Amino acid sequence: MYVRLFSAVWLLLCAGLAIIAWGFQAPFAYDPVGPRAYPLLLLALMSAGSLWLLFKPGVLQQQLHLPSAKRAVLCVLTLLAYVLTFEALGFVLSTALATFAMGLLFTGRLLPCAISGVLMGVLLYGLFDLVLDVPLPLGLFEAFVES
Amino acid sequence: MKTAFTRIALTTACLAFAGQLLAGEPKRPECIAPAKPGGGFDLTCKLAQNGLKDGGLLKAPMRVTYMPGGVGAVAYNAVVAQRADDPGTIIAFSSGSLLNLAQGKFGRYDESAVRWLAAVGTDYGAITVRADSPYQTLNDLVEALKKDPSSIVFGAGATIGGQDWMQTALIARAAGIDPKNLRYVAFEGGGETLTAMLGGHVQVTSSGLGEVTPQLEAKKVRILAVLADDRLPGKLADIPTAKEQGYPISWPVIRGFYVGPEVSDEQYGWWKQQFDSLLASEDFAKLREQRDLLPLSMTGDELNAFVLKQVEEYKTLAGEFGLVQ
Amino acid sequence: METLHFLLQGFDVATRPNNLLVALFGAFVGTIVGLLPGLGPINGVALLLPLAFAFGLPPETALILLAAVYLGCEYGGRISAILLNVPGDAAAVMTTLDGYPLARQGKAGIALSLSAVSSFTGSIIATCGVVLFAPLLAKWAVAFGPAEYFVLMIFAIACLGGMVGDKPVKTLMAALIGLALATVGVDSTTGVYRFTFGSVSLSDGIQFIIVVIGFFSVSEILVMLENTHSGQKAVKASGRLLFNFKEFCATFWTMIRSSLAGFVIGTLPGAGATIASAMTYMTEKRLAGSGGKFGEGDLRGLAAPEAANNASACGSLIPMLTLGVPGSGTTAVMIGALSLYNITPGPLLFEQQPDVVWGLIASLFIGNVILLVMNIPLVGLFSRMLSVPNWVLVPAISVISMVGVYAVHSTTFDLVLMIGLGVFGYILRKLDFPLSAVILGFVLGELMEDNLRRALSISAGELGILWQSPISLCLWALAALMLALPGLRWWRARNKARLAHA
Repeated sequence: MYVRLFSAVWLLLCAGLAIIAWGFQAPFAYDPVGPRAYPLLLLALMSAGSLWLLFKPGVLQQQLHLPSAKRAVLCVLTLLAYVLTFEALGFVLSTALATFAMGLLFTGRLLPCAISGVLMGVLLYGLFDLVLDVPLPLGLFEAFVES
Repeated sequence: MKTAFTRIALTTACLAFAGQLLAGEPKRPECIAPAKPGGGFDLTCKLAQNGLKDGGLLKAPMRVTYMPGGVGAVAYNAVVAQRADDPGTIIAFSSGSLLNLAQGKFGRYDESAVRWLAAVGTDYGAITVRADSPYQTLNDLVEALKKDPSSIVFGAGATIGGQDWMQTALIARAAGIDPKNLRYVAFEGGGETLTAMLGGHVQVTSSGLGEVTPQLEAKKVRILAVLADDRLPGKLADIPTAKEQGYPISWPVIRGFYVGPEVSDEQYGWWKQQFDSLLASEDFAKLREQRDLLPLSMTGDELNAFVLKQVEEYKTLAGEFGLVQ
Repeated sequence: METLHFLLQGFDVATRPNNLLVALFGAFVGTIVGLLPGLGPINGVALLLPLAFAFGLPPETALILLAAVYLGCEYGGRISAILLNVPGDAAAVMTTLDGYPLARQGKAGIALSLSAVSSFTGSIIATCGVVLFAPLLAKWAVAFGPAEYFVLMIFAIACLGGMVGDKPVKTLMAALIGLALATVGVDSTTGVYRFTFGSVSLSDGIQFIIVVIGFFSVSEILVMLENTHSGQKAVKASGRLLFNFKEFCATFWTMIRSSLAGFVIGTLPGAGATIASAMTYMTEKRLAGSGGKFGEGDLRGLAAPEAANNASACGSLIPMLTLGVPGSGTTAVMIGALSLYNITPGPLLFEQQPDVVWGLIASLFIGNVILLVMNIPLVGLFSRMLSVPNWVLVPAISVISMVGVYAVHSTTFDLVLMIGLGVFGYILRKLDFPLSAVILGFVLGELMEDNLRRALSISAGELGILWQSPISLCLWALAALMLALPGLRWWRARNKARLAHA
């Protein structure tokens, strides 16, 4: 069922992408293939594969388990929120918040998660920015450093 | 355009007393290399990093951040949109970035969207063949091209419309041939191109001079022409220019830095002054030579004017070669 | 003879106490950096080089440090692949296939120690190869033009046939998805932007590291989330920490074969460790036939990619040292580092600065020994990583993955892209599409299209160029052999059966 659904979506996507790919035209090219042929070939093959799976999806044991799907969505949202606040709040703060939330999602208890969140924000910042020389955004903390 | 002029006027006004009224050194200075580690932009950033540190011009350590994509397009957009007023960030650029900028490949921003700070060195384009190639001079190559444009395969580390391609196209034009009738292979970077030529898969490479000089010492390649106006100094003086062989083609590859559009005039002036002193110092000249870059010093307004002019020229060229519809 | 003399001289330098200490330090830092997903030798080198300058280390010591970090990263990449199913670097993707199942079976210690030995074997064989054949192999690397690369990719794909298994259409689809993902970005031949949707962030295409971290790290987090709630207990490392003699013997020839193959592929600029490890894994799977439990924790499936990717890492030093051409992203950084010491790798390096080259090679040997000695006792420590509770471990993995991507790209766009790919990967995983096929499709895709089109640009459209040279002919033959192998095996089995009958 899910494979069928996926294949149908993928088929539509391939069709849409093919329309876009049709527009790939170079002012001129030195090779006979050009920028368009290869993506179109791939899309055609993928459509064929999708069609196949649409009719013969095979057996799949996976069942959609609603609560766990909900949690997965929550987890993805947490990660997204993390990423989007990464630069604005700065690494330390956004990491602390995100790890706290993730910890709770992974059945951690409130206090230990809060502690590990703060620790991770600070320690990983130290590890990466100061020790490993990976520049990370300071965000809100910038004000403290500037002054 | 108008904003650019006002900006020039403003900077000029400020520069008069910039020496005294300087803003202090920015906290957390950072150099964005808009490419992966190890490439030309990385080198440019490291050059500034070491030069500024060794010369005592920057006390806090300057860090190098990588932001690869589109010969600088990603960094350009990120800086204009998100870090427009960050005084601590300088971003490396090269002629290649300007070329893409001219062809509208930098998204919605144009060349007046940032403040061009300083150009610190330059490389030149070079046309190279294998040491055992039948072509001894640029003339031989052009003659052969005239006879049969499809007899020679050019290799270069750039797509159609990139710098190395432009050099090839200029040569073709000099030979009176439509660049579209050439045989040209685009590789990923200069290293691959060179390997392909050493293996005999392509006959001529078009690249930056710095990319082929190590092979020159080993006598594996012959540089038919360097695309500079005059002969280069030092050990490179033996390489003939295209101009002296009768083909007035010049292709400098300048390397430099810009800052965000909303960086204050004080901060901009401060950076400019640091770079001015840096470019004047002997130690920096040595450092630059070590990295296979040739002297070129331009800062502030001079650079700004140069960049605008250059982009215009690139636009014209791209139009002539049918790259822009 | 001269070679030996130089090598001994190199050893003399490399075994001085302070240099040994530096190597030890470099190996340790390299292992740690290598096991963090996204961070690799590039970060390791970038991190230690300024230190080397600050302490005013002489060039040979700095080189030893570089070599040790480089090797250390190659060793480190396997650890998180085995324990967490999150490859520490791209080349370790194949290691997850059998390494992780082994860890789930409580054999984490065995997997770690055996893979350390495989890595060691790979590096040592490749380093010997560098000593003996460097100039020769430089010629081989140069002989590979676009046409040959294209046929090599065909060969690689023929090897991948082994992955098809019981769900051919899904595997094929997965590989196609990978190939399609690789077409995003500027078309390197004509400069046309494909599937960028007007975003400059996609102009160079989707970076490999983002795909790997997204597909493996992020989707693994989601899988772990499920397991946490379905009451599935995380496995603890139990039993032996070391492999036994029998296990070693069973994988011995796999290691040797994979090391040799990995080394040869590694010498080709651009082909790289990922392709080497994939090809050897598939070849071993084919060779083992139905006797193997590949994908469910076969030790050979662990040994092959590890030996190959280390061998290939050492092999990629050949184009760097002999031609001055970076064979991989890491060697590009190393060239940059060397140039800081005024050493320009290139055709003259062997003649002009033999002490540097041989010092580097000697330090590769020594670095390897140090890493092996260091890794075996650390097995116990690393495998304890499994007993860290999920509510600490998973957030840590996600943060480290983010940093890994941010370190190379510094834009939030790429972080969002990574999560998007992770969710997509999770869906694919749930629907039973093999993710490793997507990754391999992604790696092979770009090389295949570009090189085909380059070859055709060279020949002005003549297809003949694809089978002109002896090398491409050989590769075509090998590819055909690979495809025919299952048939051959079946034929032999039938013959045997018939003989037994008669």
